[in-house]
Amino acid sequence: MLLNPVVFHSPRTIKEAVQLYGSLEDVKILAGGTFLLNSLKLLKRKGTKTTANIISLRKINELKGIRMDGNRLVIPAMTIINDLFESPFLTDNFAILHTVCRNISTNPIRNMATVGGNLTCRYTWTEMGAVMIALNAQMHFTGKDGEKAVVSSEEFFKNAAKSDKLFTHVTIERDPLARLAYRRVKKTMHVDVPLLAVCVKVYIKDGKFNNSCVSVNNGTSFAQRDNQLENFLNNSLYTTETVDLALNHLDVNIYDKRSDEYKSHMFRVSIKNALLEIIKSEQSAHA
Amino acid sequence: MSISINSSDTKINIDPVGKSVPRIDGRGIVTGQTKYVFDVSFPNMLVGKMIRSEHPHARILSIDTSKAEKLPGVRAVITAKDTHNIKYGSNEYFFPHTVDQMAIESEKVRYIGDEIGAVAAIDEETALEALKLIDVKYEVLPSVTDVLEAMKPGAPQIHEAMNNIGVILPVNFGNPERAFKESFHVREDKFYASAAAMAALEPHVCIGQWETFTNKITLWSSSQAPFKCRESLAKTMKMDLNDVRVIKLAVGGGFGGKLEMLPMDFAACLLSKKAGGLPVKICYNREEEFSFSRRKHGMHYTIKSGVTKDGVLTAITGEVIADGGAYCSYGPTVMAAAIMRIFMVYKIQHFRISGYRIYTNTPISGAMRGFGGVQSGFAIESHMDLLAKDLGLDPIEFRLRNITTPNMITVNKMHLTTNGLKECIEKASEAAEWKKKRSNPKYFKQGVWKRGVGIGIAADVMGSKMYKSHESAGAIVKIEEDGSVYLFTGAADTGQGSNTALSQIAAQALGVKYERIKCKSGDTEITPFDTGSFASRVTFISGNAALRAGKDAKMQILEVVAEEHKINISELDIVAEKVILTKDNTTLMTFDAALNLCYSFNYGKQIIGRGSYNPKTTPIDFRTGEGNVSGSYGFEAQIAEVEVNVETGEVKILKMWDAHDIGKAINPQSVEAQIEGSLAMGIGYTFYEDLQFRNGRVVNPNFANYRLPRSIGIPEMESIMVETNDPEGPFGAKGMGEASLLPTSAAIANAIEDAIGIRIKELPITAKKIIKAIKEKEISEEKRV
Amino acid sequence: MHKVNLTINNKNFPINLNGNETLMEVLRNQLGLTGTKTACEESECGTCTVQINGKAVLACITMACDLEGDNILTIEGVADEDQLHPVQQAYLDYGAVQCGFCIPGMIMSTKALLEKNPAPSQEEIEYALDGNICRCAGYPKIFDAVKKAGQVMQKGWQKVNETENISREKLSSINQGLTYEEYVKISAVANPEAQK
Repeated sequence: MLLNPVVFHSPRTIKEAVQLYGSLEDVKILAGGTFLLNSLKLLKRKGTKTTANIISLRKINELKGIRMDGNRLVIPAMTIINDLFESPFLTDNFAILHTVCRNISTNPIRNMATVGGNLTCRYTWTEMGAVMIALNAQMHFTGKDGEKAVVSSEEFFKNAAKSDKLFTHVTIERDPLARLAYRRVKKTMHVDVPLLAVCVKVYIKDGKFNNSCVSVNNGTSFAQRDNQLENFLNNSLYTTETVDLALNHLDVNIYDKRSDEYKSHMFRVSIKNALLEIIKSEQSAHA
Repeated sequence: MSISINSSDTKINIDPVGKSVPRIDGRGIVTGQTKYVFDVSFPNMLVGKMIRSEHPHARILSIDTSKAEKLPGVRAVITAKDTHNIKYGSNEYFFPHTVDQMAIESEKVRYIGDEIGAVAAIDEETALEALKLIDVKYEVLPSVTDVLEAMKPGAPQIHEAMNNIGVILPVNFGNPERAFKESFHVREDKFYASAAAMAALEPHVCIGQWETFTNKITLWSSSQAPFKCRESLAKTMKMDLNDVRVIKLAVGGGFGGKLEMLPMDFAACLLSKKAGGLPVKICYNREEEFSFSRRKHGMHYTIKSGVTKDGVLTAITGEVIADGGAYCSYGPTVMAAAIMRIFMVYKIQHFRISGYRIYTNTPISGAMRGFGGVQSGFAIESHMDLLAKDLGLDPIEFRLRNITTPNMITVNKMHLTTNGLKECIEKASEAAEWKKKRSNPKYFKQGVWKRGVGIGIAADVMGSKMYKSHESAGAIVKIEEDGSVYLFTGAADTGQGSNTALSQIAAQALGVKYERIKCKSGDTEITPFDTGSFASRVTFISGNAALRAGKDAKMQILEVVAEEHKINISELDIVAEKVILTKDNTTLMTFDAALNLCYSFNYGKQIIGRGSYNPKTTPIDFRTGEGNVSGSYGFEAQIAEVEVNVETGEVKILKMWDAHDIGKAINPQSVEAQIEGSLAMGIGYTFYEDLQFRNGRVVNPNFANYRLPRSIGIPEMESIMVETNDPEGPFGAKGMGEASLLPTSAAIANAIEDAIGIRIKELPITAKKIIKAIKEKEISEEKRV
Repeated sequence: MHKVNLTINNKNFPINLNGNETLMEVLRNQLGLTGTKTACEESECGTCTVQINGKAVLACITMACDLEGDNILTIEGVADEDQLHPVQQAYLDYGAVQCGFCIPGMIMSTKALLEKNPAPSQEEIEYALDGNICRCAGYPKIFDAVKKAGQVMQKGWQKVNETENISREKLSSINQGLTYEEYVKISAVANPEAQK
């Protein structure tokens, strides 16, 4: 047996799921299983006692099915990464999600992993966290007594992705004027390639950057904004000169604290290339 | 199966040699039906687990297994006291002092994971529980895990070897010092090639069964060398060879890690004996596979060469320091390959390289594909490029002025017969458009992505007489009454397709179509002896045995035909399923008719053809370094085109060209597949693979942190086959399987230098290293300004 | 104790499960379907790839308990009696099989890809197979096999029992998109039976 004995629960509705969540001790939520199963196996190999109750969300239809609700994209928690990748709704600002999904792990994992797992699993890094902040995504939860709660993704990650409620879906407003770019270091070559992701969102008004958002994931389960850089970008001209200068205005605490030289270097390269991508696409759109 | 061929036209060409016939065992694999030892289970089978040391270096004071033995469900526990305490080794014939490992250690443990016993229980849970109840008292000794530290006087002594030197291999010819004095230019470089893991997908797994009424052992093992395993098992169990049977089923890759008996093989058999004859299965999980089986030697390689003004090599000296881990395994062979392969590639008269294989308290280094030639390939081929650069010569031009030629004897008495190295270099250069791309400041050198090309060349042996007095292979061709044919060969097909190639050879030698043949391989009780699948020996040596067996069977049939039809046997032959008269190629009868004749009332002759082949080689005299170690030599040239991103350090390999002298391709598709697999493994070794240790423990024993090349990032590969038609090889074939691995790292490192002017001398080449080197170069250039 | 009805290879398997079994363990240990392999403990190698509801997923991190009503396909269910699926045939014909340990998982990933998109680009093929490690083959022949299998699947794949008047060899050659002459060259067999 690869896993320790567990009591396996398979609720059919969100209501059932939160009731179980509220009433059981020692619970783990099973979404795609791409993180949980491996950690349970590892704990068994180490001889550690593991959780007694697994609540699987697999059979809850309310948690599936990406859809549009007016101008709002609704991505339920159990949306599979590859289904998100192939979704025809990913236009305008939503298109950035297409890029994010492409490089998450490997194909079979992309066929099993869920958006909910990616955003709320605190023990591994989130590829999507930085993007959700940039998209100003709102995260929806249902509490153990059935009460609903909405938290902005920025708030959620500021709180180190902690929550005692069940995550049900994320909503994003359509925003055709937003310009987004996403960079992560691709997992090619040696394992010492750093884990990092950067998502930049800006608006361009009167030839200047405006209302920018630079959200950064430093290989952790949360993401945060670089307000210092954002302040510099806002009201700077959207030119390549600005990009060169921008690298002097990073909040180094975010990037350099737990990074070696190469990681710090790659952060700067990623931000630079993300900004250049936005500038190039803007210029070619106007050409 | 009754085949009747109506046509009397003998020009139907069904000779399978040279054709890409389908794999003989392929159908079972694609339908998931083929069984690997990993998949096999027997009724009442027990699960075995090894008892391992947690210390890198310690003396065993006592082992108390009583509590484990009492645990319900535990059927047997063994420790050293249950064994004969006999040491065994893998290179024992020529290096008796390297026989240093016991299957179950009794006195000392020398690495984390060293086996001191084993348990067998009704299931895995119970076996793991039993392990926790084993009480071992150790006297922990100081340990040394860095190879350079281990060589220093005063370092903890791991075996009875001074300065922990397990193998010392000094190879000297001529007078290098004088030659250096007379040289136009001399240069020295230091390189480091890292430790890697074989990482075959099927882990080490075996099932041992003791037959209680005959006192015989049967061991099913995922093995590349069943006969080697049998030999070690018989030695350590003190049994006759014909009381030990080792069977290999389909093997999920070996790459040199499954070439010898491991303690698990021994333990499975002994546990079975103690458990009253119940079969015992021991299987490694991936962590054990990385940590406790075998690995590649990490090597520090120093090389110094002199050249004339025209770029001709005058002398080479150097030193190789290899990290051998806790025991010797195939150490001597690896050292020999690391030092002596250079003689097959470059003409050199003055030479002195000393090799030291050092013991450290880390997992055991063994014979990973390439046997030391990969590490030396990286060092030597990078060094040659640097020499060429110093002289302002094109790297290909430099090599062409120094390579070996056909029909020559090297300074260490290797007889190079067919030698397609020049043709390989020229063909690769042409295919890659070398002249247009190399050192061309206009070729994609602007912008963030810069391109370059680099070359590496290598040579390969076809087996080598380093394990036993003989290196022969045997084969039997047995023909059934209905015309179906068995080929029995000791050669172990571990996925490279040897069963297929050998069946093609046997079929052609016999004169029949390939589809008649079924191949049974790697069962020590049924198949004739064969040393195993390594050193690219199978096509050449085992192939010749299969050829002879096929011809022998043919002769036996023709004897009967000759007698029946009163014709001289020298006037008969079997070709393309027909018995023909050689003088005018007319058909006398079909193969089936001839076979019916053999099995007919008057003759009743069973057709059992046999063949044995021992290459005409001489063992290496390790006092002088001289010896013609192989019956033939293979050659190849590899060119890599890379694109380097100077911002991120990422390297893309755009394309690789591999021109390979394989004598003759028995199955072109298989040859290509082997080349491509080797290239991929070489790419992995260059960029991704890095087995890391801390205090003697492997810190990345999983695929998440020991990365293998995958579908993304594999370049286009072009294989160019150069057929030199070796007179000694079966139908002209030489072997292959390793050579394409040898120069890959250097070809890529050379290409990176061409692209961005950065030389990396330590493997693996990572983005981090490249960016660091670029930054350092910028700083030093700024300083100069 | 959970009583679960697993639908595997279009057959029904009612099983009693404790609740902590992965699909891979159920397949290999309880049902004897050893075609699906396992080679790591961390969902990295891809040898346990199966199709669930057509998607290529990893059996080693799927809980068997949760699969009632799902359609599970393993390598043993891919061939149709004794006719090989175009993906299996292509892997054989294009030399993509070496030691074979990765092949069941590789074939399942390939089949899942081609069923959705029988004409994938090189990049799409690479991304679809990036979860399946092959240590032997180095991938180029695998790519060839995938592309060729896709071509066959685009043309529509005839099954043996639908075409009774054609010999098996001729049908194989049609299903591989080859002329009979080309097929003979590849398989290096002169089979006069089929020439009749």
